Amino acid sequence: MKTSTPLAPSRAFAGTAAFLWTEVLVQGNERMAMLTSMVVPGIILVFVEILNPALIGVALVGAILFSTFTMGQRVLNEAAYLRIDHKANDLYLAGPMTPEAYFLGMSVGIMIIYLAPTVFLGVLAVVVVPLSLGTGLLLFALAAAVWLFAASTGYIFSTFFLDNRAIWAYSSLFFNVFGVLAPVFYPLGLFPSALRPIVLLMPPSAAAALVQSVIGAATLAPWQTALAAGGLVAETVAVFVFAIYWARRTVMAD
Amino acid sequence: MSGEALRSVDLRKIYQSRGTPPVEALTGVSMEVHRGERVALLGRNGAGKTTFLKIASTLLRPTSGSVEVFGFDIARSPEKARPYIAVVPQEGKPFFHLTPREQIYTYLRARGFARETAKARTEESLERMGLNEFADRLSVTLSGGQRQRTMVATVIATEAPLLFLDEPTIGMDPFARREVWSSLRSLTQKGSTILLTTHYLDEAEVLSNRLYIVERGAVLSAGTAEELKASVGGTLKVLIPSGAVQVEQFRSFGTCVTDGLSLTVIVNPHTLGDVMEIVERSEMTATVGPVTLEEAFLRAVGRSINED
Repeated sequence: MKTSTPLAPSRAFAGTAAFLWTEVLVQGNERMAMLTSMVVPGIILVFVEILNPALIGVALVGAILFSTFTMGQRVLNEAAYLRIDHKANDLYLAGPMTPEAYFLGMSVGIMIIYLAPTVFLGVLAVVVVPLSLGTGLLLFALAAAVWLFAASTGYIFSTFFLDNRAIWAYSSLFFNVFGVLAPVFYPLGLFPSALRPIVLLMPPSAAAALVQSVIGAATLAPWQTALAAGGLVAETVAVFVFAIYWARRTVMAD
Repeated sequence: MSGEALRSVDLRKIYQSRGTPPVEALTGVSMEVHRGERVALLGRNGAGKTTFLKIASTLLRPTSGSVEVFGFDIARSPEKARPYIAVVPQEGKPFFHLTPREQIYTYLRARGFARETAKARTEESLERMGLNEFADRLSVTLSGGQRQRTMVATVIATEAPLLFLDEPTIGMDPFARREVWSSLRSLTQKGSTILLTTHYLDEAEVLSNRLYIVERGAVLSAGTAEELKASVGGTLKVLIPSGAVQVEQFRSFGTCVTDGLSLTVIVNPHTLGDVMEIVERSEMTATVGPVTLEEAFLRAVGRSINED
């Protein structure tokens, strides 16, 4: 009797590209959803332009960071929805594809699809702020870190929910508090000084503060720069490493 | 790849959650599935079938006991067992915004199949499951049965050495169910092994080489369909719609089961004439048919409930 054999070794990240493409196809078929990622930053930009046009550059930088931050909310929603409603975890993870490939493929796939609004905002920022090449590269690196932090956080959080309805409320609360209430769209200087160390430890507002200091919209003491930059790097790396561990840990439920 | 396709020894699972008493879902299940077999798990809702399947497919941690898949302990080294398995999860759905063709192809690619192989197997699986007509429609527009066929087509396209199917034909019409049966038979002919759960006893009977009846987390009985049916005590069943009141007259011929006014008597061919004579004498009517797996199942599970 001929016995079929497995084709794929279970090496780390095996299947990432294929699952990424799956996610791109899935998300790409929901074209309206792509536009919804522009709603909140778009509304805020219009308000800023009406109420205080001088802050439009800061708001644009904030909008770019916010758009990458909310990709984490989409990872949270998608990961939980696929696990709870579609049992996609069972389908994909009881097989050679690794859990880290599932997490990364989903996160990058979502990022690719929702990147268009971010790129559009980036072009606007180059024209309006205007951004130098160095500042642009800094903003790109910070936005990437914010994305990685948010996607990792979103994936980790997604594993705790048993019902999709609960997720919508919590994810909206989490991403709006850290992405809108904190000084992401407005200068750090307008935020109460006693609470600034806290927001400098939150990745979206830390990234915003760093760009604001470079374009002259905020003044950061050296320790504040160190806190924002160090905190952002440390938190991003820590959460990403934990997300990989957690993705592996949660394949087999207790 | 060595050993039995699957071997579990004294497998136990207790679900613990804060604020609620622990639930013992498996109380010591031992079983073997040989290579190339099609084995069905039968049981009532909540009997422990899905829990067993989830543990065996590396998706749920056992409380104690062991499961080996091709010799790999699934608790100690699940990553070694996973390349050999594929799962149709209970109530799983394809991606709503993919077509069945995209769903199968991308799944095969995610499992590491080369493009050409994935493409060929996708077409083969679509054909085999009768999905060609819907192959390029988004799954969100398909009926429940068509979505389920897509899920099964996705998994059988892998031709994995060990396939776990949790209620694979639920919601399918009789034609689609037969297509699944045929596909599963051809898979085992190619060398795959199949462990499935089902509530359709006809499906279990025609499809499985062996069956396990599970009740309250334990194996009640196991064997071929014929062996399980033989345990009922006869090969024929006589259904007497108004016979319950006269049950005492039939007790000496075999097992009697009453259900409201009706009576079912399990008999062997050589006593059938005597039973029918009483039926005729009492001016009752009766229908005679072969004992099915349903009688064996109801008897095994019913006896277990009554013993409590």
